[in-house]
Amino acid sequence: MLAVIVSGLAIGAVYAATALAYNVMYSTSKVLSVTTGHLCMLGGVFGAWFIAGLGLPVPAGLVGAVLVGALFGGFTEIVGVRRVLARSDEHLWLLSTLALATMLQQAVGLWWGTEPKPFPRLIPQDFSSGLLDQKYWLPILTVLVMTAGLEAFYRLTLWGKLFQATSEDAFAARARGIPTDRVRLASYLLAGALGGLAGFAAGQLTFAFFALGLTLTLNGFIALAVGGLGSNLGALLGGAGLGLLSAFATYWFGGEYQQTIAVGLLMLVLLVRPEGLLGARRVRPV
Amino acid sequence: MRGSASGLSLALAGLALVTLPWWSGDLYQLHLVSLIGAYWVLVAGLNLVVGFAGQLSIGHVGLLAVGAYGFAVLAGTLGLDPLLVLPLCGALGGAAGLLLGLPSLRLPGFYFAMATMAFALIVTELSLAWGGLTGGGTGLSVPGFPAPFHTPWGQYWLILAIGAAVTAMTWGIARRMWGRALIAVRDSEVAAASVGINVFRVKLTVFVFSGVTAGLGGALFAALQTYITPDTFVFEIGLFFFVCIIIGGRGSILGPLIGTAVLTALPELVAPLAKLGTFFYGLTLLIVVLLVPEGIGRLVEVLAARLRAEPHRSHEVRPDLARLRRALTSQAGASPPVGEPPPVGETRPPEAPALAREALP
Amino acid sequence: MSAASLPAALPEAGGLAAESVAKRFGGVTALDAVSLDLRPGEIHGLIGPNGSGKTTLLNLLSGYYRPDAGEVRLDGEALSRRSVQRRPRLGIARTFQKPRLLGHLTVLDNAMLGAWRDVRAGFLATALGLPSVLREETDLRERAADLVHGVGLGHAIHRRANLLEHAEQRFLEIARALALRPRFLLLDEPAGGLTGAEIAHLADIVRTIRDGGIGVLLVEHHTDFVFRVCGRVTTLDRGRLIKHGTPDEVRTDAEVVRVYLGA
Repeated sequence: MLAVIVSGLAIGAVYAATALAYNVMYSTSKVLSVTTGHLCMLGGVFGAWFIAGLGLPVPAGLVGAVLVGALFGGFTEIVGVRRVLARSDEHLWLLSTLALATMLQQAVGLWWGTEPKPFPRLIPQDFSSGLLDQKYWLPILTVLVMTAGLEAFYRLTLWGKLFQATSEDAFAARARGIPTDRVRLASYLLAGALGGLAGFAAGQLTFAFFALGLTLTLNGFIALAVGGLGSNLGALLGGAGLGLLSAFATYWFGGEYQQTIAVGLLMLVLLVRPEGLLGARRVRPV
Repeated sequence: MRGSASGLSLALAGLALVTLPWWSGDLYQLHLVSLIGAYWVLVAGLNLVVGFAGQLSIGHVGLLAVGAYGFAVLAGTLGLDPLLVLPLCGALGGAAGLLLGLPSLRLPGFYFAMATMAFALIVTELSLAWGGLTGGGTGLSVPGFPAPFHTPWGQYWLILAIGAAVTAMTWGIARRMWGRALIAVRDSEVAAASVGINVFRVKLTVFVFSGVTAGLGGALFAALQTYITPDTFVFEIGLFFFVCIIIGGRGSILGPLIGTAVLTALPELVAPLAKLGTFFYGLTLLIVVLLVPEGIGRLVEVLAARLRAEPHRSHEVRPDLARLRRALTSQAGASPPVGEPPPVGETRPPEAPALAREALP
Repeated sequence: MSAASLPAALPEAGGLAAESVAKRFGGVTALDAVSLDLRPGEIHGLIGPNGSGKTTLLNLLSGYYRPDAGEVRLDGEALSRRSVQRRPRLGIARTFQKPRLLGHLTVLDNAMLGAWRDVRAGFLATALGLPSVLREETDLRERAADLVHGVGLGHAIHRRANLLEHAEQRFLEIARALALRPRFLLLDEPAGGLTGAEIAHLADIVRTIRDGGIGVLLVEHHTDFVFRVCGRVTTLDRGRLIKHGTPDEVRTDAEVVRVYLGA
């Protein structure tokens, strides 16, 4: 039973990290990017490649994975979001980020291969530690540090305050001289870095697998919608809840109904509380 | 004049399609065109959802799988007459569409897209889990149709007939009040509600219709494939349907039809594209969204309109009050007029009611 | 306050009325105990400074908002629980401050859309093109064409709506609203951005609509226009009703002059 809880929390941490990345990008652009899960996938695949493939030391692999994530985040903003936001059609960003996600996944699949590959050990530890193995506590610790770091960033730094001002009212922020385009780009770089970091930390759990992105895009979104769009604490709770639910579902019914049960949770929450557990109620736009 | 020209080209295209088996080179080409037809049966219905009502469903492959497995089980395992099973698959697809649409169509755009994607993944999951019914990972073999549709030609004509019928139906919807209502739902839900359109009901109706065509398309697709497994219905196929419509152009029927034909045939004819596969679809989607967000079909229309451009004249708005008064009084009275009766003196011969020229291709 | 002296005159039947409605957004009170009644065959002006709650009141009447207190009644029957989409079917039509037209459709298509409440054809019948559907389509098209010509857009009837000029868009919105066969028409700043000549045409149209027995609510900044065409005028300020009466009474009211018209 404890094993179920620990593995549920560990996978839930990956969902929560994806939800955090969603939040960071959403706050400045009001865009929910289909590429969000792919940021984590990049962290896992490139971390494995840098360390196991190129033989770089672990810290260099970490920096590399975070950089690749940040680069793709920035690329998403420049190619997929910036041009599209200028137009009035609100759905175009869904199409452009969907296109980018599809291209990335396919490109990684062609280059890296379509089989999941193992992720190298990050910290010397033998494989007999059971539930204390790093593949469980590394993602959990990482997402906790990420959440705390994000909150501190928003509250204590100038850039964090710029993020918040842009998030509350982008027009007003621009009128007050805040370079909202650069803030948005910065937020995508940050989200990419966070995604890369999370994917790197969770690599031993998820393996380096090209199709991980789409699964995380969906499950991270479920965690986000359940916890409440825009709330980082909600993302954490939603991720943990979803991870535990999946783990227990697997424990009781086998792995066959995981996705069905996850979506069932989403629908239930949306029916009862459309804004999610900790989300803000939206005012009707007329 | 324009009408007769497009009528003629329609007749020619129809003739070419009906006689295709005699002049096409080989069975492989015939199979390819049949496949395009089966896809189109689904895409035609999906087009009303995506291109007209503006609901971005990326997971219609789930509904395709429902129709395909339905056909394989009912006609194969249970041995029912495939021609009888065909409408049953439509009904099955419609029911699945209702099941998916009821909770998800009230959600905002991204939520809805994610729900349809999740549905596609769930269908795959269930097709693996319910091995007794679906054969699990091994899959099922699918029977063909009885005579006269048992040959590749017969099958082709069956698909052609169903495709033509579905196209005619979506065409009928697109150019009448329902089509206007769908576009209102897509472009401005506020405007739609202001004229009394029940936005959710309209969305749900058209979504269930797309489920029916997806079920039919799935049955035809399964019969063409002769063997189906969960891997036949990867998520990328749903993406492919969706891209066909976006590239073809929103609010067009011909555009998505051409999009389906070209995107199905291209990777088969150009070997390097087949290797790139989904990457190519993604790239195409990105280019279209960034450069011609209204779709290539729409671009052609706009260019055509520019060719026969009516010079833009500024025109003072000059109300025809007598006609307005007549229109208000003749609009069968929900409330009887209480003001003065319309003055009889003002006469102006009523113009013949101008019939709307349908702008759709 | 002058509002207190007004009788809360509400007709037992035959009117659209807001009864001391209130609406708050967060901590901001947009409307506070405001009453207004609109009778068939009258033009009722609603004026006030920016942010005085005019559009909020219109949104309450047309169902986009629900009142926090008070009630909206049609012919004495409570409406507040009826959704936006139901109101057009009850004969309440509206236009928008920023025209909400369908740019990809023609002028005639936009006007026809207004007649949606009269569409009896089901989805399947439409798809199959049954004769009754075709007849209905022709009827609605003729009706809409009459209205389009009536408001003066005959020259543009087949033009795509996003190619229209500003005044044309406003007039098309009125034609679309009229295609609903409304009993009450709520116009949200219809004269905004119009030239003098166009406002004169608008006045003709609004009077013609009134003569057709329709009750028109005119939310407007153009006070000249309002005082010229309206039979009664209601003035709001910061969510409260400050004066209600004939144009002459309102124009000369000290409070209205102070908060809105200026010295």
